[in-house]
Amino acid sequence: MIDRRAFLIASGGACVATLGACGPLDTLVGGFAPADARFLAPESEPIDLVQHVLARCTFGPRPGDRAALLALAPGDPRAAVEAWIERQLAPETRDDDAAERAVRRFDSLSAPVAELYEYKPRVLLRELTSAAVLRASASRRDLQQVLVEFWNDHFNVDSSKGECAWLCAAHDRDVIRAHALGSFRDLLGAAALGPAMLWYLDGRVNVKRRSDERPNENYARELLELHTLGVHGGYTQADVMEAARCLTGWTVRDKTGLRKARVEFLADAHDDGEKSVLGERFPAGGGERDARQLLDLVARHPSTARHVARKLCVRFIADEPPPAAVAAVARAFERSAGDLRATLRALFALPEFRGDEHEFAALRGAKLKRPFHYLVSILRATGAETDAGEELCAYLARMGQAPFQHPTPDGPALEASAWQGALFWRWKLASAVASNRIEGTRVDLGALVSRAGGADALLAHFLGRRATSRERRVLVADGANSPELGLLLAAPAFQRC
Amino acid sequence: MTQELAIAMDGTPDDARALVVVFLRGGADGLALVPPTGDDGYHRARPRLALEAKETLALDARFAFPRELAELHPWFLEGRLAVVHACGSDDETRSHFEAQDLMEHGGATIAGGWIGRFLRSTASRASTSPRGALAIGALVPESLRGAPSATALRSIDEVRLGDDAGGLRGALGELYAGDELLGASARDALSAAARIGELVRADPRPEHGAEYPDARAGNVAESFGRELALVARLVKARVGMRAATIDLDGWDSHFVQGTVVQPRMRALSLGLAAFARDLGPGLDTTSVVVMTEFGRRVGENGSLGTDHGRGGALFVLGGGTRGGLHCRWPGLEEASLVGPGDLAVVHDYRDALASVLARHGGARALGTIFPDRELAPLPL
Repeated sequence: MIDRRAFLIASGGACVATLGACGPLDTLVGGFAPADARFLAPESEPIDLVQHVLARCTFGPRPGDRAALLALAPGDPRAAVEAWIERQLAPETRDDDAAERAVRRFDSLSAPVAELYEYKPRVLLRELTSAAVLRASASRRDLQQVLVEFWNDHFNVDSSKGECAWLCAAHDRDVIRAHALGSFRDLLGAAALGPAMLWYLDGRVNVKRRSDERPNENYARELLELHTLGVHGGYTQADVMEAARCLTGWTVRDKTGLRKARVEFLADAHDDGEKSVLGERFPAGGGERDARQLLDLVARHPSTARHVARKLCVRFIADEPPPAAVAAVARAFERSAGDLRATLRALFALPEFRGDEHEFAALRGAKLKRPFHYLVSILRATGAETDAGEELCAYLARMGQAPFQHPTPDGPALEASAWQGALFWRWKLASAVASNRIEGTRVDLGALVSRAGGADALLAHFLGRRATSRERRVLVADGANSPELGLLLAAPAFQRC
Repeated sequence: MTQELAIAMDGTPDDARALVVVFLRGGADGLALVPPTGDDGYHRARPRLALEAKETLALDARFAFPRELAELHPWFLEGRLAVVHACGSDDETRSHFEAQDLMEHGGATIAGGWIGRFLRSTASRASTSPRGALAIGALVPESLRGAPSATALRSIDEVRLGDDAGGLRGALGELYAGDELLGASARDALSAAARIGELVRADPRPEHGAEYPDARAGNVAESFGRELALVARLVKARVGMRAATIDLDGWDSHFVQGTVVQPRMRALSLGLAAFARDLGPGLDTTSVVVMTEFGRRVGENGSLGTDHGRGGALFVLGGGTRGGLHCRWPGLEEASLVGPGDLAVVHDYRDALASVLARHGGARALGTIFPDRELAPLPL
């Protein structure tokens, strides 16, 4: 690894500016695995279970991750996988100092919500984006980071709408990260009545003070269509209107007055008549209890279990997940009343997920990484030192997935069809990282080769399996003892997980 | 002076239509760009700043271009430059930030920018290998937020695949050959990379006798010209660029307006005229929109400047636009001014943009692009 102090001096600019604040050793993070340990690479031609689980449940294996997993049950990889999954499902039991150190210099991350307004929106977005990349790269709570991305997409908020420019930082922290591996109902409740969502989907202007005033249905519709039941979940337009009535009066104070960003219930703006949603009666005079009753109702609806289960299966199994798998995950969701750990535990036990039965073997290594995943997997696989600065993060927008900037409430798509077109920028990123052309991000190929124990092991580390003869011929020049890193990162196998 | 250029590319070489949006930041004075020399109110409101008709280039009996826009005058006379006067947004804050934000988003509190929504809603979905937006480019403006892919660049070198692009392309072609999921889009990306490679090697000189402004015309003009020349190369190379934005900053002319506005008008005139000539027949499929967040106070202030106002001017050049003056002039009589003495906004900027976007495949998506306005597209 390049000496951090020397690198800092060489890279100048942004890094030096932060020196005063936090000291030279904190401005860059990297070597996301113990720097001295030699790492194990996969050895088989097909992708093995350990590789598969690491590829799907993390943003890609770092040097040393495979060895650390296998060490959980020496000589018994299957038991080691089980133990690893259980540890990942209990993130609070694992310290995450590395990730938190990586983002300590971003003071907006810990600012109370009303103080977010003191930052320029561009600064907030930059810090939030860099922090997302750094945490996803450095965290030991790998699965939780994957779920953070998943729920940020499910409960999408775009920083370009109104005061979301400031509030999306609170959304990421207080809604998504707080509940990513908790209970779906808590997550839904935090999102529904969080200041960012009240701005993003116009809940703040959903008021009824006069008899001729019509509720704003925007949030109610997306609540049913996207966040809970799903578009074919069996609700009607009347349910949308009635759900909107239940939520009238919930609003958020804007930045012009006192108590900025405070979420409050204005009883005089609430429609307090009787309502009926999905066949359930909401008696008149429910007041602020209407919202709770509504969220309880939609969170436990069977269509919600299916909708959430299907999305999880698309993320973790396949773009077109086998229906039996979706049904099994939906059952686990329902039985556990939306406990996300129980739901994921069930998913990770499915043969459709594991791909260890012949029928599902082809599902391993078949999913296309989305741009964020791809970029983070590069940082992880190479053990890059990075400040996740603007030059690196600009590639996210180029590849089409800038975090906190998706305009529509459906969030960025999970399926490959939305992403397979932007290969050009993936290749540009691969080549820029491999040749150390991105300020603030450094990889050391020589060190990687020696730690892996040769070119073949390093190929297998990146490809997730032993290289085919064609891959070896294209990726390792005749007589060379290390692969062409840029090509390796650009290779189709590394686009997948 | 920062001039930002951002470009969105879609990898579809056949889609030859390109939209170029020049944003005049700081609130460009519509009465300086298109002086109503035939309106007595203009001369009364601006005793020291107003131009006499004889110092100008007439557009019709009432309106003219100042001499600083001389190179654009022939394009107007030929009917290829449309001028929309008394044009603007419903922003009443007269705040640069608020007004630019509103205009770039294309409405109040809408997620994404108007160009972003345009690109997203018209992206090709029919093909089995969706050509994702191949984006080129430092700072992406708000108007491009939400584009399928957008980036900002300062030179073509930033979009080359690498120094040994030929070898790299060969290796990538081999790796991706036969890949069921990614093979087709890899071929698209490789051919785009090849076109960009050709573009980098191709003679960068402008065509058809076009001459972009150089240092003799001042820094602002030189820099603006260089950016337009880059956009022209990308348009001509058909690398699939669907939209490009360029900022021309510094129009906030509170103090001694002439020193602020005149060099920028020279930049605009020399730059756009060179661009139009350089493109040759390509101008028929390339629309250039020139817009600003608001116009300025009708009455001049005590320091030979003007303050923030409402109605301003918007230009559309090329792309099949119907040139000429588009304006229901509200007049500059006291009674017809709004607020503290501003030209009324008679034409909403979105009604002008809608006509342009309709010619760029956006006709059916206008409701999505400008969701909170009932559009009445102008006959541009």
